[in-house]
Amino acid sequence: MKSDNKKDEPAVFKRVVSKNASPYNYMKVSLVLEDESTRLTAIELKQFIITGLKSLYGEVGAALSFDLLKYDEDTLTAFLRVSSRGLVKLWSSLTLLGFYQNQACAFRVLQVSPFLLALTGNSRDLQLD
Amino acid sequence: MVRVKSRYLLCEVNVSDRTRLLLLDDRAVAETVKATVARIHGDYGAAMCSIRFSVKYLNTHTGIVFLRFPKRCYKLLWSALPFITCIETRGQKIPCFLNCLHVGGTIRTCQKFLIRYNTQQLHRMLPKCKNEEEKQQVRKAILNCILPGGNKQDEDILESDDEEE
Repeated sequence: MKSDNKKDEPAVFKRVVSKNASPYNYMKVSLVLEDESTRLTAIELKQFIITGLKSLYGEVGAALSFDLLKYDEDTLTAFLRVSSRGLVKLWSSLTLLGFYQNQACAFRVLQVSPFLLALTGNSRDLQLD
Repeated sequence: MVRVKSRYLLCEVNVSDRTRLLLLDDRAVAETVKATVARIHGDYGAAMCSIRFSVKYLNTHTGIVFLRFPKRCYKLLWSALPFITCIETRGQKIPCFLNCLHVGGTIRTCQKFLIRYNTQQLHRMLPKCKNEEEKQQVRKAILNCILPGGNKQDEDILESDDEEE
């Protein structure tokens, strides 16, 4: 019966806009070190990122929760998951991290996406025949 | 006409020993606030705090402080104030905490609030006087200090508040 009633009502145009509805953002970053033979474990890397957050955003920034999902020790490439609100904070602190144990270093942010699946491929290094 | 907008935070400094309040000076308060903001919000907070932050007014008798913050980021800086546990001045550490009473856009509104707040406090305290003599003393003290000029009057009321305690 209800559905009949609904049919009589004129269709109402409804527009739904959602901006940044996804709860998390995913980042693919790689660490470039001056001395390429230096190895970092996943724990050291996370600790390093947290110290960067702490120096730029203080104790509040250090409390920002982010996860190291996957880490490749050979290429120093990591996948980070961070809540959308903390993305800018994390990104800016990564940018300003310049030294790891007195040697120059830099984080290269390779890809950022609200969907983890999007990080499986990179359109920038596709080999087109 | 355009002006640069600020937010004025009217805070009271709570200490256990009121005589130590007299040691405070505005530079010590400013340094403490800056250090705490730097600890809680890092370099970013310290930079925010360095632009237009100042201690506008400090009454050491009653422990009232006016802090000026830029309007853009006053909430961020305000959030660091509860983490102040002691103020270091002249080589002494005064354990205290800041209690924010009012947030205003101009010094004038804050002053109005402060006068109203102090009258309220006085009304709360008067019934607690033990005998009639004490009440009369307080009244006399207030009447003595009503002088033309708003600010002066305000401060004197503040001081008489103190005497009663």
